[in-house]
Amino acid sequence: MKKFIKDLSFRFNITEIEYQRKNLAFVSVDKESVMQMLSYLRDTEGFSHFVLMTAVDWIEDGIFQLTYILNNPTKKIDLAIRIKILRENAEMYSAHHLWNQVATYQRELKEMFGINFPGSPRVNESFLLEGWDNIPPMRRDFDTKKYSEETYFPRPGRGTNDPAQHMKIKLYPNE
Amino acid sequence: MSSLKDILMPFTAWKNVFKEPVSIKDPLNERPGAPRYRGFHKNDVKSCIGCGTCESICENEAIDMVAIAGFDAKNGDSGLRPKVDYGRCCWCALCVDVCTTGSLTLSNEYKWVDTDSDNFRYIPGIDNKPWDNNELGWKKPGNGYEFYQLERVKMEELHPEERDKSFIEIIQGYSKEQAEKEADRCVECGICTATCPAHMGIPQYIKAIRNNNLEEGLRILYDTNPLPEICGRICTHKCETVCSIGHRGEAISIRWLKRYIADQNPSEKYKTILETDFIQKNGKKIAIIGSGPAGLSAAHYLAKMGYEVEIFEKLAQAGGMMRYGIPEYRLPYDSIDKDINYILSLGVKIHYNVNVGKDITLEQLGKDFDAVFAGTGLHLGRSTRIEGSDHKNVYQSIELLRKITQGEEIHVAEKIVVIGGGNVAMDITRSLARLQNQKYGKVQMITTSLETEEKMPADREEVVEAREEGAIINPGWAPQKVEIQDGIIKGLHVVQCMSLFDATGNFNPQCNMENARFFEGDMVVESIGQGMDLSYIAEPLKDDIEMGPRGRIKVNSDFQTSVPWLFMGGDTIQGPDVIHGIANGHRAAMGIDKYLTEQ
Amino acid sequence: MNKHWLNIGYDRSKYPETGVDGNLVIDKTAHKLVKLWQGPNHPGVTGNMSIELTISGDEIVEAKTHVGYLHRGFEKLFERRKYIQVFPTCIRLCVAEPDYNEYNLAASVEELSGIEVPEVAQWLRTLVLEMARLQSLLRVVPGQGGTTGLGIGVQWGVYLRDLILDRFEELTGGRVYHMYIIPGGVRGLLPEGFKKRLKSTLKEIDEFIVNIDNLMFSNAVFKKRTIGVGYIDPTWVDSYGIVGPNARAAGFKRDVRKDYPYLKYNELEFDPQTATESDIYTRSRIRWHDLKMTVDLIQQILDKMPDDGIIRAQTPNVLHWKIPKGETYVRSESSRGEYGFYVVADGTEYPRRINLRGPSYTHAVSLLEHMLIGANIADVASIMVSLQTCPPEIER
Repeated sequence: MKKFIKDLSFRFNITEIEYQRKNLAFVSVDKESVMQMLSYLRDTEGFSHFVLMTAVDWIEDGIFQLTYILNNPTKKIDLAIRIKILRENAEMYSAHHLWNQVATYQRELKEMFGINFPGSPRVNESFLLEGWDNIPPMRRDFDTKKYSEETYFPRPGRGTNDPAQHMKIKLYPNE
Repeated sequence: MSSLKDILMPFTAWKNVFKEPVSIKDPLNERPGAPRYRGFHKNDVKSCIGCGTCESICENEAIDMVAIAGFDAKNGDSGLRPKVDYGRCCWCALCVDVCTTGSLTLSNEYKWVDTDSDNFRYIPGIDNKPWDNNELGWKKPGNGYEFYQLERVKMEELHPEERDKSFIEIIQGYSKEQAEKEADRCVECGICTATCPAHMGIPQYIKAIRNNNLEEGLRILYDTNPLPEICGRICTHKCETVCSIGHRGEAISIRWLKRYIADQNPSEKYKTILETDFIQKNGKKIAIIGSGPAGLSAAHYLAKMGYEVEIFEKLAQAGGMMRYGIPEYRLPYDSIDKDINYILSLGVKIHYNVNVGKDITLEQLGKDFDAVFAGTGLHLGRSTRIEGSDHKNVYQSIELLRKITQGEEIHVAEKIVVIGGGNVAMDITRSLARLQNQKYGKVQMITTSLETEEKMPADREEVVEAREEGAIINPGWAPQKVEIQDGIIKGLHVVQCMSLFDATGNFNPQCNMENARFFEGDMVVESIGQGMDLSYIAEPLKDDIEMGPRGRIKVNSDFQTSVPWLFMGGDTIQGPDVIHGIANGHRAAMGIDKYLTEQ
Repeated sequence: MNKHWLNIGYDRSKYPETGVDGNLVIDKTAHKLVKLWQGPNHPGVTGNMSIELTISGDEIVEAKTHVGYLHRGFEKLFERRKYIQVFPTCIRLCVAEPDYNEYNLAASVEELSGIEVPEVAQWLRTLVLEMARLQSLLRVVPGQGGTTGLGIGVQWGVYLRDLILDRFEELTGGRVYHMYIIPGGVRGLLPEGFKKRLKSTLKEIDEFIVNIDNLMFSNAVFKKRTIGVGYIDPTWVDSYGIVGPNARAAGFKRDVRKDYPYLKYNELEFDPQTATESDIYTRSRIRWHDLKMTVDLIQQILDKMPDDGIIRAQTPNVLHWKIPKGETYVRSESSRGEYGFYVVADGTEYPRRINLRGPSYTHAVSLLEHMLIGANIADVASIMVSLQTCPPEIER
């Protein structure tokens, strides 16, 4: 695994490497080299199984992290590729031409995170949320609690007490 | 691929025609839930303490803590009980697994039909349900399954052999790792806050330790307690007696965690952390009599509010009973100085060796200052007044302790008998044991008290440690007579003490005169409590002061006496212990501020 | 495609015919295309999803999967729950086999915080995961027959599944949502007499395995409806991300239990079956083999596992359990194939992101849409069940 990553870092500009397990490594690369790397890994290195791709919202840094996890079924190793893209007008190259199912992932990411993948088939079709008019809901700034409080109504008659506060009110209200 | 076999084989299913049906005929009655089934909630409301951990772990917000008639808030019990909303509950039973007392369980009942959906919100154990007496159902799994550590992180102590000859501090204090591990055990229920006389934000500062934010921790400590180094060592930690974790395990070491915060923050940073670099003065002056915990606490909060504070102290150093009553091995002088120096850095002045009542009258202070706070404490030893107790080698523990602190030579006999079962008795026992060890190379101390082993007011660890250091603690005896032959003390006659209080609760010891013993010794120390010296409140002021029960001066909730400018607090009013003094001083400071602002 | 004596003349897997340009020969100008919605009502054992079919005659020209009927925003909800609170939530991702969610969450949390799970807990986890596979297969194997009108097998399966649920109830306190594999360990040892009762249930299942073979796999009608239908080309396995029994039926020996052994699987003997025909019948047959293998695995586990021990490692206080910053991907083999959790921890008490990779995400969307083209309407349900779709893991 280590040797393989070392070889890989000669070809691509890998900025961070983390060995999570002996058969799973996370590498960070820049946005521009991802597509080239994915097709290299698929065609030359035997990473034929596309496990998943997803996004992580690091709202405090203003970036989305995109993670692609690839699997080499022969060597039985996993490689996760992380890239960072700007949160504002988030856009990424589409990888639908490499694996057929990627289009579905990209369609979901477009809907849930608002990340655009120009050229990806049916990317603008809604995936789960027909008629959604709010911000993409998987973004960290979408507050589910607030949304549910505004959209639904609480059950009447509910109310709770904090033990310490309650004891203060009952036992030493003036201190 | 297909063959005649494929046409015929499916017909083998017909053999099932001759089988008994497998369905349960009467599932409502014939099919109880499994013994571990996670069915409807049960709560043993008598052992529930309303800590609310069930509510905090519930991921569906299905549990509300509600007040129940007949369950009042009291020490160690919030009086609240969980109410479950079955519109939200998912029966994961995490509430059962996290329950600090083990009162909450699930029954194996799973059938409940009702037309009113509001009925599905109920208080287990209060609203009677058919499954209340079901034995079966989900309980804490056991077998090493705990959501938090039940055992304390062990505190490092000096070994008895290392410590019994010197006055070096015994308790070593937690390391960072130990403190964070201990802080992790806290479930943040906050039951302890009400019991602490100063109502310290205990869960909050423990959280600060967990988050490794000790500056925040220090700020939380100083909100309610300006003597954390001292309290972190010798507080009577009433909070730990009500800790919810203590119901099934060992209480959180709240006192040692407090000490950890204070120890870790360097004194030179205090002013920056506590944001007291600059205090806007308001031009008013307050006099404080006595620099014990009450006086220092009042001084701290008054100084922070901008008052000019002057303390009048009878002795040569500040700290009162904390310095002169508590031995150095429990509370090193450095720690006292750290807390006091910070308070002094706020601009508080101390006049040492000034005896109010002799060197300056209280009335004069009343005239010179806008208000006076008196925290004069209990510094008079009480005598048993038994036969022979007037002998010159019968001492008062409080005087001996003071002399040890002042560095005076005291009489240390080869065999000593101590009368008393409180912390002071343990202090003098252990101090004298050290001195005996230094002088004679061995310990021959007998400490006896009226109270039996279980009822001794001293902290358990004090008794254990005293024994480790070689002293004999023999409680449950009433002193009768100091045996004196030819002017020399030979020992103490005692009889077995059967009970301390009569049916009405008055102090009235009953003894079994048949069972008598004689403790040999050539020196006796009495440590049965202390009295207050209020001689500084002289005529004509004395007439204006209203007295309360048990010879104490009456004060209102602001610790104001019937003389409006005179406030009192500390051991003379409440206690005796340090934390009450601190709480009194804090409230008196707020009372003084209120009194002067309203004026 | 082999012809057999019941074959009445044409091979439906090749209809409509493919023209010289590689496209289907359909006269679109005839305006004879019809839109037909299959779902979103529960079509058998496949969950609520719908397929928008464009049909010409009874052949499908285009298919689009529509999901969202079961969307509860789980992945979002996880982000505002403490790790221990994720535990009762995450299981609801899948009704059929909730235990893989429990395991994946527990395993990822333990991996990120470096917790060693006690021996007996590892065995119990293995047992529970195999029992979950067993009850799932008891639904889906006869369920395949159900799609062609063979209802009896389904009823047998439901009865036996109920017996497994009884065992689950005894062991975990719950029938469907077991909430048993908790981060750090498990929530209970085997109850008194459990092994005996489970073994007698397994005996009944042994009998069922033979009966279902007679009823379904040696059934001319079932064979007629499934052999050669719903073909998955081996080249699609990687390009569509096909895993589990579906990949094994296409000749790829992929099983997480063998390839990336977790828990106690490397101490157990088993050999996942493969085949090459890759049609509905073969996939169903592979699941039938899996069923046999699972029964055998449970027997092995019961014989090998210790009876007593600590069931949960001491973790930090769960009320404020902070997981160190880090990411991991943890997978296990569900009855549908590779089931994974991608977990990102940011050092707080709350997970930053938990992403589920379920087999249906690829099987029921891109693969199904591709496979249905050219299929017959009557075969849609069979094809869906043969892929063992589970919509909740698509929408999460």
